[in-house]
Amino acid sequence: MSDYKEYLSEREQIDLMFEKGYFIKNVQENLSGAIVTFEKNGSETETLHIKTADARKYFSNLLLATSKRLIL
Amino acid sequence: MADLRTNLAGIESPNPFWLASAPPTNSGYQVQRAFEAGWGGAVWKTLGDPILNVSSRFAAVSFNGQRVAGFNNIELITDRPLEVNLQEIYETKKRFPNHTVVASLMVEPQQEKWHEIVKRVEEVGVDGLELNFGCPHGMAERGMGSASGQVPELVEKQTYWVKEAAQTPVIVKLTPNITDITATAEAAARGGADAISMINTINSLAGVDLDSWNTIPHVGGKGAHGGYCGPAVKPIALNMVGECARSPRINVPISGMGGVSNWQNAVEFMLMGASNVQVCTAAMHHGFRIVEDMIDGLNNYLDEKGIASVQDIIGKSVPKYSDWGNLDLNYKIVARINNDVCINCNKCHIACEDTSHQCIDMLKDDQGNSYLEVREEDCVGCNLCSIVCPVDGAIDMVEVESEHPPMTWNDRQAAIGSLQNPSADPIK
Repeated sequence: MSDYKEYLSEREQIDLMFEKGYFIKNVQENLSGAIVTFEKNGSETETLHIKTADARKYFSNLLLATSKRLIL
Repeated sequence: MADLRTNLAGIESPNPFWLASAPPTNSGYQVQRAFEAGWGGAVWKTLGDPILNVSSRFAAVSFNGQRVAGFNNIELITDRPLEVNLQEIYETKKRFPNHTVVASLMVEPQQEKWHEIVKRVEEVGVDGLELNFGCPHGMAERGMGSASGQVPELVEKQTYWVKEAAQTPVIVKLTPNITDITATAEAAARGGADAISMINTINSLAGVDLDSWNTIPHVGGKGAHGGYCGPAVKPIALNMVGECARSPRINVPISGMGGVSNWQNAVEFMLMGASNVQVCTAAMHHGFRIVEDMIDGLNNYLDEKGIASVQDIIGKSVPKYSDWGNLDLNYKIVARINNDVCINCNKCHIACEDTSHQCIDMLKDDQGNSYLEVREEDCVGCNLCSIVCPVDGAIDMVEVESEHPPMTWNDRQAAIGSLQNPSADPIK
């Protein structure tokens, strides 16, 4: 799979999490990329392993947008 | 006609083009010829205890047909008695009172030695002093030049000693042979420097002869490292000027040098914070009259931009120079190949396929003609294809609008950090 296709696939998974009402609870970055933990209703959690650089930028943008919205 | 006059820490000059302290400023004959040609100032070849030089002193690096892409020298400071230089400085200032003469100085790191030379040099009417803490060869082995300039405490202390005796502005010339030039620039400022100048030459060996196995240059079969300058060092110098200009702890003006070869280079240095520029290698390569093109080119540039004074461009690019962590991760450019201009040499394809991100396809149209096309979704905007392309206008790097607002690495890390530190987490 090309990097771009892999990015689209990972982006889709991230979008799906947000559509389901999850938000980003935690991000652990390591040699394999980023382990992103999503949380919903204070207890339900899901984890995504995000590998591509563009998808790691993508969830970061969403995280930043969320935090900015909440600050405002 | 734009106003080209400059003022570096109170040292006024008819234009920003000074000859750097080096072989072109060895004597009154040379400096006066330079002033006749149009140079605004000259930093006299470094004065100190007269030295002994070796024969075979210079070497140059040519690259792909460009002569003197880089220049290496193992010449030391002046080999003439101080009295001779002072007499010629006096005569030069008398003949050219409106041109700038700065004396470059180098003595052992002792207070009384600095006091003595400062007083004697200022008596003949120099406009300023430049402390040579940068020469990397010969003198450094004796504790002077870059040996002093690599130790912030010595830079500060010697600058302080000079300021104790000096009546004219003191410029501290810094060595690039150090990890972080802002450390010594700060030390100079702490010592009371009125200005700093950079860069002196970079430790270098120009080459090795493949037949004799001698170094280039060699002195009877033996070589020693020299100082490298010329066009090849310009990017290094420009960064060092920019780093000092943007440092909040360095609040003295900068005289920029290191590969300045034409008026465009001079503008770059001034935009990055230099109040003027010093030139050596280009003058050694092409002669003093290159300053005519420099003056004309700078004047035309300012006129075309509608800028009245050259001083108005000083530091204008400094706010645009920052740390990597402050760059926008969402800014994106991609390559676009203009097939009506492209000559199908395939250099871009080879470069991209072998050494970058494999996003330039070699295709054929309906008539079987070859053409190249960028898969923009895979292009990371590295610029390599446009760098290696031999035809102007064949490849454009085009900005692509981002779906997200700007996000820097620092922004991103702060947001992720706030998740892991609930007390600072704005979204909880």
